[in-house]
Amino acid sequence: MALKEIDLRIRTGEFVFITGPSGAGKTTLLRLIFGAEPPTEGQIVINGINLSRISGTKLDLLRRKVGFVFQDFKLLSRRSVFQNVALALEVTGEKRSVVRKKTHQMLRAVGLAAKEEAYPIELSGGEQQRVAIARAMINDPLILLADEPTGNLDPDITREIMVLFRSINLRGTTVVIATHSRELLRNTDQRIIVLHGGKVLE
Amino acid sequence: MLAKLRLWSTYFKYALSSILYNRLIYAISVGTIAISLLIFGAFVLLSVNVRTWIQGWGQTLSISVYLKDGIDEGTRERIRTAISTLQGAEIKGYISKEKALQDMKGMLGSQAGLVDGLTKNPLPASFEVAFRNADRKKFEPKRIKEALEKVPGVDEVQYSEQWLDQFEGLLYVLKVAGLAIGGLLCVAVLFLITNTIKLAIYSRRNEIEIFKLVGATDWYVKAPFLIEGAIQGVLGALIALGILSVIHLLLSFKTIQVFGLPFMDFMFLTQSHALGILSLGLVLGLLGSFIAIGRFFKF
Repeated sequence: MALKEIDLRIRTGEFVFITGPSGAGKTTLLRLIFGAEPPTEGQIVINGINLSRISGTKLDLLRRKVGFVFQDFKLLSRRSVFQNVALALEVTGEKRSVVRKKTHQMLRAVGLAAKEEAYPIELSGGEQQRVAIARAMINDPLILLADEPTGNLDPDITREIMVLFRSINLRGTTVVIATHSRELLRNTDQRIIVLHGGKVLE
Repeated sequence: MLAKLRLWSTYFKYALSSILYNRLIYAISVGTIAISLLIFGAFVLLSVNVRTWIQGWGQTLSISVYLKDGIDEGTRERIRTAISTLQGAEIKGYISKEKALQDMKGMLGSQAGLVDGLTKNPLPASFEVAFRNADRKKFEPKRIKEALEKVPGVDEVQYSEQWLDQFEGLLYVLKVAGLAIGGLLCVAVLFLITNTIKLAIYSRRNEIEIFKLVGATDWYVKAPFLIEGAIQGVLGALIALGILSVIHLLLSFKTIQVFGLPFMDFMFLTQSHALGILSLGLVLGLLGSFIAIGRFFKF
């Protein structure tokens, strides 16, 4: 069992780091919040909705309000930057004109307006992560979850990405970042949750 | 409503792009489905035609009236008149002893030499008689046989009911064989479609993971695969029907003559049979991808 006796409350609009050594349960905690796996015991409540009480399509709909960013970006290699970001809107059955407009806006916001037609393989790691963040943000999520989002990036790019997360948080989105990077945590005044052996140390 | 329509057009787009991407696998799969449905369709076609022929023969029952050797022309003409007075009877031809021997030689082919050894022609002359539009139920060949055999100069009368019954048996065998082979082929087709869709799902597993990540519903992910399966099945069925109609066209150029009876038309499948094969393809396609999806997705 990766996590035990977790009692955690993250407020709306908070910016939270989750840290701890490898295997401490950081990824598991994020996956639980995302509803990717159910807790064996207890409950997870997001915005008043108990995750263990919903399933199927309702869970899918809730996921549109929770953005997820990964260390390995998880972009579709056969699709352009624009198509990768637009996908998150297309699955909702949104009008094509709205999809186009919002995707353009979002890519401008993350500084990738010039690379809309490029394919992921043609981008740097930092750019790929910004595509992933744009995709996670396009449905105006309540929560943005990020699992080691700067794990593959060099320090300069890491700073850029963190600035992007801050600005997203300032617009009201709750941001939860799992990382084991001390560098990332050194100069922050945000709340840090420390996990060890599946328990919260704080 | 409009959103639904947009989603469906997206499903079709995904399905078509997946088919294009895995086109070789799809071509092989569709080809095999076509061959299987073709075999099945051929059985249906054959039994439809055999049934129609039997019904046709039922309406023109035929008898052979064999004559005694050495009768004179007057006796023969009296027999001809006796036959003509029977209701619905029509004399299709008179076969002389010589003609009968000739026919026999023709049938023996390379063994025709056997006949040359005969010192005397053992074959009787005969009248071939057809009863047009006879109701099989009311038709009494036995009574006709007895009546005609009393006419002087008539040796024996044979009628065709016996082999008609045998054809009814053939029809039954065709039906059972068609169903058995068709059933086996359906299982094979189902297996094939399931595997093709499984491969398609496998080749797109990363894409599926990302779809689910951005909040796509299960249906959004599954629908394109169902469409892929349906397209495979319907395409296979259409190709099978196309090949069947070409075969039918080639066969109908040669009208088929059986047992000296009037020419038979070789019919094509009825509309409902063709629709049946098409829906069979569709159902197999949907079912196959449904099974594949069920095995693969555990969200």
